[in-house]
Amino acid sequence: MKKSKRILALLLGASMSLGLAACGGGGGTTTTPAPGNSNTPAANESSTPSAGGNVELTIWTYPIGKFGDYDTMQGLIDEYTAANPGVSIKFELLDYTNGDTQVTSAITSGTAPDIIMEGPERLVTNWGANNLMVDLSDLWTEEATADIAATSQAVVDACQMDGKYYEYPLCMTTHCMAINYEVFEEAGALQYIDEETRTWTTDNFVKAMETIRDSGLVSVPGIVYCGGQGGDQGTRALVNNLYSGTYTNADHTEYTANSTENVKALELIKSMVDSGALNANAGFQAADELQQFANGTAAVTFCWNASNKANYASQVAFTPYAMAFPTDDGKPELCGGIWGFGIFDNGDQAKIDAAKDFIRYICDDPEQAKESVQLTGFFPVRASLGNVYEGTETEADAAEFLTLMPYMGDYYNVIGGWTEQRTNWWNMLQKILTGGVDAQTAADEFVTNSNAAIG
Amino acid sequence: MNHAKSKLSGTSTGYKAITVVILILLAIFFIFPLYWIVTGSFKDAMTINARVPQWFPLNPTLENYAKLFKNPAGQWLLNTVIMAVGALVLTCLTAALAGYALAKKRFYGRALLFTIIICAMALPKQVIVIPLLREMKILHLADTLWAVILPTVGWPFGVFLMKQFSETIPNEILEAARVDGAGELRTFFSVVFPMIKPGIGALAIFTFVNSWNDYFLQLIMLTSRTNWTISLGIARLQGEMSSDFGLIMAGATLAAIPIVAVFIAFQKYFTQGIAMGAVKG
Amino acid sequence: MAQNAVATAGKKPRKEKKSQFSGMSKALIRRETISAYLFLLPSLVFFIGFVVIPMIMCAVFSLQEMGLDSSANKFIGLANYVKMAQDSTFWQGFVNTVIIVVVAVPAVTAFSLWVSSAIYQMKTVTRSFFRCVFYLPVVTGTVAVTVVWKWMFNPYNGLLNQIFGTTGYDWLGNSATAIWCIIMILFTTSIGQPIVLYVAALGNVDQSLVEAAQVDGATKLQVFWKIKWPQIMPTTLYILVITTINSFQCFALIQLLTSGGPNGATNTIMYYIFQMAYNNQNFGYANAMGVVLAIIIAIFSAIQFKFAKTDN
Repeated sequence: MKKSKRILALLLGASMSLGLAACGGGGGTTTTPAPGNSNTPAANESSTPSAGGNVELTIWTYPIGKFGDYDTMQGLIDEYTAANPGVSIKFELLDYTNGDTQVTSAITSGTAPDIIMEGPERLVTNWGANNLMVDLSDLWTEEATADIAATSQAVVDACQMDGKYYEYPLCMTTHCMAINYEVFEEAGALQYIDEETRTWTTDNFVKAMETIRDSGLVSVPGIVYCGGQGGDQGTRALVNNLYSGTYTNADHTEYTANSTENVKALELIKSMVDSGALNANAGFQAADELQQFANGTAAVTFCWNASNKANYASQVAFTPYAMAFPTDDGKPELCGGIWGFGIFDNGDQAKIDAAKDFIRYICDDPEQAKESVQLTGFFPVRASLGNVYEGTETEADAAEFLTLMPYMGDYYNVIGGWTEQRTNWWNMLQKILTGGVDAQTAADEFVTNSNAAIG
Repeated sequence: MNHAKSKLSGTSTGYKAITVVILILLAIFFIFPLYWIVTGSFKDAMTINARVPQWFPLNPTLENYAKLFKNPAGQWLLNTVIMAVGALVLTCLTAALAGYALAKKRFYGRALLFTIIICAMALPKQVIVIPLLREMKILHLADTLWAVILPTVGWPFGVFLMKQFSETIPNEILEAARVDGAGELRTFFSVVFPMIKPGIGALAIFTFVNSWNDYFLQLIMLTSRTNWTISLGIARLQGEMSSDFGLIMAGATLAAIPIVAVFIAFQKYFTQGIAMGAVKG
Repeated sequence: MAQNAVATAGKKPRKEKKSQFSGMSKALIRRETISAYLFLLPSLVFFIGFVVIPMIMCAVFSLQEMGLDSSANKFIGLANYVKMAQDSTFWQGFVNTVIIVVVAVPAVTAFSLWVSSAIYQMKTVTRSFFRCVFYLPVVTGTVAVTVVWKWMFNPYNGLLNQIFGTTGYDWLGNSATAIWCIIMILFTTSIGQPIVLYVAALGNVDQSLVEAAQVDGATKLQVFWKIKWPQIMPTTLYILVITTINSFQCFALIQLLTSGGPNGATNTIMYYIFQMAYNNQNFGYANAMGVVLAIIIAIFSAIQFKFAKTDN
């Protein structure tokens, strides 16, 4: 009697504490902010397709110009949903430092967004290749394909893999570098640059940096950042251009960063670091370097484009002057950036259709497309849009970067093993520039490891 | 021996003076980062990036805070509190019950269970985070605060601590309760619980601080901006293309000040609780 | 009978290694077992659900090639482990992890003991002040502390170089200094708890024993080692455990300050696992490293416990 009573009490107690736990669970969930609870239907394979009624979309954007700005995104979405009352849209702004982690964990936990905005190296080569994306062939109408190809066939090629399109592009640009015009002027280094074409030769680059160093106007002439993968397009372009090396072979099947030209370039950079004409910083990523440029601590930045110029406009007290990377042959090959939209296959056709409609609105609607491109600060992939900045207040800024557009080089970002090679790249730079490893050895190791990751 | 003693007492005044000096220097070293966070948050971009440090913000500005609150920073703080308190309550409750059983009950599998707990205690979450994410997907808890709370509660450190603490309860008292006819649960809540209260206090503080600082789990589990904690928020204020230290310091101030204030106000209970928890260990 | 059993069990709980049940009837054992497990149930639900099961899944995943595309997962046996044995980055991370633990744990323990011995006999106000000060970095929050250090370490406008007049010196970008910077910050954020613990433990040392020893002419050092040290041993064990856990889990510091660089000088196994999983999306390999790390840590904790127990 007594015994059974005791057990009963115990059971009661145990279930009570469990109940408490469960209650706590319920309570907590309700206090959890609702807008973030994207866990429910969005990514769940078993969720029933929303029949004609309300469709809820989630959009994640990497910081591509104003697409990384909260108010702008909200405005854009409000405009769309006002015209399409059946759709509600939530959005999330990613950054490049943590964005990949966020997307990876969202994919593995089933909370991936419907639409994502980035470039082909992620949309096509990574997520597309892993069968996570929806084929967007129907967005690539004949008209659209022809229009985009008129700008650059490379863009069309970059957005597809094995005959499937995983990205529908909106804009593009060339990544360049910039100099502090006033510092160059005062130090007498302007003679080394061609202001009309915004180009300079490798020899002149070295002379210019040495002049800046000797002038003592800034703490450091330039910083080769290699503390992480952020902004690595800048260091890649620097190395490739100095002696006209290539990053990959023409078919994008093999890395070629250990070619004679590239090794020579790496050795040159190393010697400039040793002489103080450049500074190598293994604790810096592009953000840190840009900040030093904006402060006037460094006289050049290797990570420049229209978007960065706009971001730092309020901070700089000088003229940041966009330049192509220095080359030995006078023909710079700048890294291109292509940005557009892709759709994660969350198994809900209604959502996929709604997502496609939204992408069409942003990229194809004649009025909206212009505005969308303006928001990015870059240039349209559609030739028919012409100069979207004509007559706007940013026309002059845009013109600066437009000069550099013809230097667009090979878009090699679609090669396999992209994420692995990014890590390998900055590690290689660290080894050469701060670790005392011979350039050829380190570059060979980079190529071996990166090729192995192409898979 | 005597010689050594006299030598020691002879130098003892000098030794003490040196000790105090070192302690004061260390104190400055430990306070300084917090000071630099708070003052940094009131400096404008020019001052922050100046080549000569400004020890005190001469032209204090609120612009960093204006920028900070363009983000849902208040929400982040609230999320962090909900998360830490949720983890604390659940951990204390479950660990107190389990620790008591491990310390005072004789049962099959006890030694094995205790060994498993010891081994699992130091297990970093990085190891199991990939399977955890899958679980959260199945439970539909991904990207909610629960995804952070539940693994924290599962971590067996609390059970270990409460076991150590429960061992100090004299068996005679338990026996007396039993003789009086108290059931197991009544024994626990009316006899055991009051005796291990300080231990629970210690565990509460430990769990709270740990969960507050568990950046890794938060980083992996929480993807939506509105679900972030303040730690994630600060870390993300540092973008790829900018590192605005003024803004970051404003975020850090927001994260640090409430908990520092609570700590200083309840310093006595705080330290007592922690201390009591372990001294008995 | 039951009373008797409980009484004996209570008197010598630690010494009955051979049978904890000595003198208990089968019925009693059964009853005790059931009630014990009911008490353990809520905790076990969480422990098994969110630690044990993931650990088992982790072991299973480690035998697979596993990426983002779950349809392409395939069983590859021990290939991930073989790869690990040949992966120099892994071994570098292993060495760094060991350095961090082996340096930080004794340093934190010894230093906190020194500070505590110095302050525990001070006036209440002074003692509280110091205790507070050393606890500050803990309550300030790891991420907040990390970002302010990142700023102070900045080569061009960071405070350290401004003070030392070494503009441009790259603390975090130098293989020789980076890991020590990490350990130093880890040290400041780990020291608070141990000091609070030691101050309390030293305050609880039986004063009559101390006085008796002093009357006998024992030196301060002798008093410390012979009288105080044994009495604060449980606290030391506890401190060793929490500091080890802290050091092994050091992640935010590395992610926010160095990303494992330069030249892998601050790469730890934990960080490498994270990178493998979330940058390279190679989940199978990351899990294999996780399994190995878990085994190392389990052995490490077991040794620590054995050591501390016999010392007692």
